[in-house]
Amino acid sequence: MRISRLWNKLAKPKNIPRLFAFALGILLIVGFVVPFALNIDQIYIRPAPQVQIDDGMSVAPYARGGDILKGPGITLAQFPENSPDLGWINSYLTPLAVWVSSVTPYFGTSICASPGGIIDEILYYTRGFDTILESTILMMAFMIASWLAVNYTANRKNQKDEIKKDVKKAIRDSNKVASEVRINDIKARNKQNRREK
Amino acid sequence: MDFATLGGNLFGTIPFGDIVLYLTPFNLFLFAILLVFTIIIAISNTETQVEATFGSLKNTNVTVGKKEFKQRRILSIICGIASAGAMITGDLFNFTLFMALVGILNIGIVSSVKQVSVLDSAFNYGLIAMMCSLPLFGGAAIILAATGTLSLSILSSMPASPMVIFGAVLILLGVLGESGVAPFFASKAEMFRTAGSPFLVIIHLSSLFIIIRAVEILLLVLL
Repeated sequence: MRISRLWNKLAKPKNIPRLFAFALGILLIVGFVVPFALNIDQIYIRPAPQVQIDDGMSVAPYARGGDILKGPGITLAQFPENSPDLGWINSYLTPLAVWVSSVTPYFGTSICASPGGIIDEILYYTRGFDTILESTILMMAFMIASWLAVNYTANRKNQKDEIKKDVKKAIRDSNKVASEVRINDIKARNKQNRREK
Repeated sequence: MDFATLGGNLFGTIPFGDIVLYLTPFNLFLFAILLVFTIIIAISNTETQVEATFGSLKNTNVTVGKKEFKQRRILSIICGIASAGAMITGDLFNFTLFMALVGILNIGIVSSVKQVSVLDSAFNYGLIAMMCSLPLFGGAAIILAATGTLSLSILSSMPASPMVIFGAVLILLGVLGESGVAPFFASKAEMFRTAGSPFLVIIHLSSLFIIIRAVEILLLVLL
């Protein structure tokens, strides 16, 4: 392939996500041959998942110990001078999460505890500033979506032509559905009649 | 590589819990420049584009409505602050979070444009931004697993193992996609081909600065 053609293909926005996905896929396949080994010397530690399950904790793989605002959990400080301030709300759960964990012993492994679920806060309270950033990302996404919904999707007062068009389309669609229902009705009745004969 | 060789003498640190921001001349310079640009953008008005129409002598003005203007302004101010935060953060995962925040704000700034081509490329960029969360956070997670820490000052003194290099390459790919550097530039470049310039410039500016900072971070982690 001539290189000018390649450049032209790269200039189309539609091709870019595909190219990126391809590059990412290649890199992830390369990842299979990279030697992976977990370094035991971690700072965000917790008891091993099996140990937690054997202890019967309902938040099993995520438990980081501690009593909220009474005793710190198990968090090693990156810098020893910060260690007295860390881990005080490690085990905080929202009221909803507390309720779910009281109902089932498998809360930690259920879908509502997966990253992004209602147990997420346990992971992030070990790392202060990240909590703020995470929720900022979510808030921005909601802000953009709600602004668009309020100003474009829901606000159609000034687009009379489009509303008329949509009403006509709705009438047409409902007529179509009604006639389909009627035809099916007749078919079903004929079948019934035939069976009764 | 050491902080001092890349960014100059360490002036001090700002601890947020255990996440520590580092103040070196290099990082402070980038931070200050971005804040100045953000202030300029915050107090400026949008441009108006004049488009010539084919087949007639008329011109059409492409302007930005007041509501749209306000929404774009707040989003671009937050985008400026977020990229300024990425300049002085001293934590790898924090940096990737700032990058994700900048990505979603970039889409938000052009989300209210009423041009189909712009919205199309914004959609495509959104797809990339979504895919980027895998290499960005996955790379940070792999580096955490390999070294046991996310703090850049500790990482800078550690030797790089193959696993760290793989994590760093993943982060690099995420940053390349999210900030729209070649060869992934087209969707992002088409995205700000519309009126309302000073706010659209922050899209460009944030990716430029974040690329510089990403190079510094990769040098810290790898060398």
